[in-house]
Amino acid sequence: MSFTEHFFSAFRKETYITVNSSLAVIILMIFVYFAAFSPAKNNYPVTCIHEKLTGEPCVSCGLSHSFSLIIKGRITEAYKWNSYGMRIFLFFLGQLIFRVVFSYYYLAAQSIRKQLVIYDITGSAFLFLLSFYPFIDYLF
Amino acid sequence: MEENKKTSAHAIGTAALITGIITFVLAVIPCVGIIAIIPGIITIVLAVIGLTQASGDNSPLALLISSLVIGIVAFLISFSQIFVTTRLVRHTDKFPREIREAIKDIQDDVFKNLEESKVNIRIESNGEVVEIKAGTEDKEIKLKQLEELEKSDKTKNDTVPDK
Repeated sequence: MSFTEHFFSAFRKETYITVNSSLAVIILMIFVYFAAFSPAKNNYPVTCIHEKLTGEPCVSCGLSHSFSLIIKGRITEAYKWNSYGMRIFLFFLGQLIFRVVFSYYYLAAQSIRKQLVIYDITGSAFLFLLSFYPFIDYLF
Repeated sequence: MEENKKTSAHAIGTAALITGIITFVLAVIPCVGIIAIIPGIITIVLAVIGLTQASGDNSPLALLISSLVIGIVAFLISFSQIFVTTRLVRHTDKFPREIREAIKDIQDDVFKNLEESKVNIRIESNGEVVEIKAGTEDKEIKLKQLEELEKSDKTKNDTVPDK
């Protein structure tokens, strides 16, 4: 049985692989979304609700512009739009790598599956707190 | 039949977990956090349906419970943003920016129109006519007249004589 066949068989049977694959596809879709919209045209469908209501920009304003610019390789401009854009982008990129790597080892090394899931949860939670701390701090 | 039920509960649990994770990430972004209320509710509903199905047979509940917990936490974070927004609205003079800007525009327009306009009020009553004229054109003429009057009045002694 080839690795691809093994993967598709596990996709149907193993919840961990199903969740990982779905999240990886969603993260890829997020990257495509930000690559499709242009920061110059300012044609993003999502606008900041806080800014609309209060007139004052919130801590996550300019995140869409920042993401698009990072994907296009314009890092300095991305920092100007939102200083936290890079760490959020790295979170999603890290998660994409996590999903692929952990899925691979989950299928390859069946004896350490439990440990892998624990490492994944711990690592993802730590990465999440590290990346989203400014937003969480702003909210509460 | 029993196997189908288990698979259904498992599939619902998986869907609830994925929705819950997305909702959680979305909920902590201040710009769009309020929107996460909807997927948060969907996650909770999916997890509850899955739990109801799984409770009938002896299928594992761990996945469904974790989905429910993630869904509830994400929903609460998202819901709390309503209070954050309310606090911000109060902080910024109670009025949203658009309303404040509209009021300022109207004020500016009214003052500009008043400055440029010439107002004539004419009242007729029992054959008597009273006419009041006001406007920027007359303003300069009246200022000149006032200056001339002030100059001419300087020579006069307007103090009250001692008795």
